[in-house]
Amino acid sequence: MHGLSESQFQDLVASFLGPYYIALAAMNGLAALYLWRSGQSKDWIKLPGSIGGHSIAITNVVVWLLVGMVFAILAAIAGSGNTALVSLPEWLREAINRGTGPIVYSVGTTIGLIVLYFLRGFFVRPAVAWTIWNLMWLFLGLSMTDPDFYDIVAKPDNVPIVMLVFLLAFFTWLATYRAVINDNRIANGEPPLEKLDDEKILVWPDLVYTELICMIALTAFLIFWAIALPAPLEEAASSVKTPNPSKAPWYFLGLQEMLVYYDPWMAGVVLPSLIVVGLMAIPYLDFNKEGNGYYTIKQRPFSYAVFQFGFLEMWITLIVLGTLLRGPNWNFFGPYEHWDAHKVEALNNVNLSEYVWQRGLNMSLPGALSFSDMPWVPLPDWLTSFLNPFLEFFSLLFGRELPGTLLVLGYFIALPPIMALTVFRGFYQRMGFIRFMVMANLLLFMASLPIKMVLRWVFNLKYLIAIPEFFFNF
Amino acid sequence: MADKKKMSVAEMIAAARKADGGQSSVSASDSSTSQVDDESASAQASEASAAETPASKPAPAKGADGGRLSVAEMLAAARGQGAPGAAKPAEKKPAAKPAAKPAAKPATAEKPKAASPPSEPRDTASILAAAKKSSKAGPTSKAEAAAKEKASPTAKAKPQIVVPPMPEKPDYAKAKPAGAAKKSAEPVDETRRGFLSLGFWSLGAVGALWTLATVKFMFPNVRREPPSKFKVGFPDAFPAGQVQEKYKAQFGVWVVNAEYNGQQEIFALKSVCTHLGCTPNWLEAEQKFKCPCHGSGFYKDGINFEGPAPRPLERYAIRVADDGQIEIDKSRTFQEEMGQWEEPSSFIPV
Repeated sequence: MHGLSESQFQDLVASFLGPYYIALAAMNGLAALYLWRSGQSKDWIKLPGSIGGHSIAITNVVVWLLVGMVFAILAAIAGSGNTALVSLPEWLREAINRGTGPIVYSVGTTIGLIVLYFLRGFFVRPAVAWTIWNLMWLFLGLSMTDPDFYDIVAKPDNVPIVMLVFLLAFFTWLATYRAVINDNRIANGEPPLEKLDDEKILVWPDLVYTELICMIALTAFLIFWAIALPAPLEEAASSVKTPNPSKAPWYFLGLQEMLVYYDPWMAGVVLPSLIVVGLMAIPYLDFNKEGNGYYTIKQRPFSYAVFQFGFLEMWITLIVLGTLLRGPNWNFFGPYEHWDAHKVEALNNVNLSEYVWQRGLNMSLPGALSFSDMPWVPLPDWLTSFLNPFLEFFSLLFGRELPGTLLVLGYFIALPPIMALTVFRGFYQRMGFIRFMVMANLLLFMASLPIKMVLRWVFNLKYLIAIPEFFFNF
Repeated sequence: MADKKKMSVAEMIAAARKADGGQSSVSASDSSTSQVDDESASAQASEASAAETPASKPAPAKGADGGRLSVAEMLAAARGQGAPGAAKPAEKKPAAKPAAKPAAKPATAEKPKAASPPSEPRDTASILAAAKKSSKAGPTSKAEAAAKEKASPTAKAKPQIVVPPMPEKPDYAKAKPAGAAKKSAEPVDETRRGFLSLGFWSLGAVGALWTLATVKFMFPNVRREPPSKFKVGFPDAFPAGQVQEKYKAQFGVWVVNAEYNGQQEIFALKSVCTHLGCTPNWLEAEQKFKCPCHGSGFYKDGINFEGPAPRPLERYAIRVADDGQIEIDKSRTFQEEMGQWEEPSSFIPV
């Protein structure tokens, strides 16, 4: 921790955690006050007995008030420097460290997303959501006492990522909450909430004033942020010295993670372009006219699931992974793990062709064909020298790399018709050939990233098609 | 002739008004400004007057005037057939043009006053006039108007307006001799054009200078980059199994003494990752090159084995110079996957 001694670090964390827990206590207190004053208090647990004829019950107001008091006590403990008391136990941190390998992390987030999707009716309940919200903050607070965690999270570069996690959780909850309410209303034959209040307002002054106020507030916030957490300056740039780890700006960390699994040409050019083109193509691919102007999930399950998978799983999750969990030498580190530049990870990656020819068939890799090996070809020299690269490339593509070529071609050529005949039959009928093929290929490209990641982690597979001679790797 | 032929709108309207009023005094021959040559106009006039009494002449008859009918005439004829008592326009446009030349000159003085129908097949004024007229529906052609004027004796009776001679122009109003006029009129033009062309030329010159300066900027007087060929010392300075990092900061090169394909050799590895171009680090403890950007790893001999790097690190050309020192040439690289590491200038056998 930048040469801080243990006690200095304790003081630093204590000075941060005291106000932090007080803020959390105030947050819960305000929530309780709001519920009480707006008459939304609900009896959760009926207590036996009564006072003055009124039965006693533990209401949600009481519960949140109690939670606020717990946070206040934590503030007192942490602020007084007893950080050992308000930190996660060592065994739990170890378990989390071990559990956050890339496989557990990505499979876990996927399963989490699926669970959240199917049990959304439960998770969007305000009480449940508020509990999760509190637990998230508590987890952050308890983890802060770990020097390695603090080092990563409190780095000015990474603060926006922490904010992003919380903001994203809130807004995802908000949208899902509205969607669940709307879906229930629609199931009961009622119009969605947004239709109840579709009074038109004026751009001037209603919208413009709102925007102006937002602009001023956001500018003030940015100024405050820039003063409070100055952007870190690093040493002078040098073409021969790359910082370790060398990280892209946070919003590109998803792309940087993608580059770990793909050739730069693929992950740096083709897939990002496809993301942009695919997003632009959505209005032309979407044939579902429902869900226009109001939140809903039931009416647009496919669009919702694909978008949330692409956004939460493939973009946000990878950003969080790249920011918080990738350390020196781009190795994977648990959240409480020390960033050891000499951590050894066995990552001997093997190409598919090497798997098949060398390990499977126990023979050496077939080489490329060349006209110089075939003097019997009756072609003039200038023509063979011109055609030689092509012959070499295609002989590699369909010779040495044949297994990968077949797999990739099968994936992109055979799968769309199979999808059209099976799971996406209705889609195919409603979309027509071209629209369906575009959508299917975009989907397959999107799915190729997690597939490639899993192949890398499970089989140490480097490339399906590896023709470095021509900078062609997939 | 061209400016004579065209009449101003005001003139056209005046002509139309005159013809309309039925008291226009200008005969066809008088109104030589009409650019209709006299004989053809009069011929038409007589023809028209002859045609005045019977119903309108059939259109093809006009062809007798020699030549095909213009579209305007056809239209007029078609209209005239519908309108009772309408005379047919018969004017031949091509004929009128050359005729107008001699006629126009003497008429110049009178022109403003001499209201005359324009020689065009039909003009706005006549269309407007025709709309007002009760006698004839539809627009009138110039020749028609002229014929009408001729045909009506009252029109002829109108006294000619006599224009008193203009007083002599004062000196200052007199036209200057051609040379003087040129001098007075052109310099204005000349200065403006001259200024513009001067401006554009100087703009172009400055642009060219800038371009040249930019090109010059690309070739600075002093080049700070190290020479592509440099010496790193005698081969004994590189014991077996060592990765010499000394030259990385300045030259971007590792000098390695390692075994490759069963042969101990000294070679110069380029310190650029073959994945995306970051600079890897040599990790002595792990005996590997490791890229901090995406985790690519390379063995000591430069062969890639982990991470996304698709091919081994590249080698620079290396040789033992005449003085016995090792000389590295960065202008040539050797790629393993192309089989170039077999080339003798890519390594020094130990």
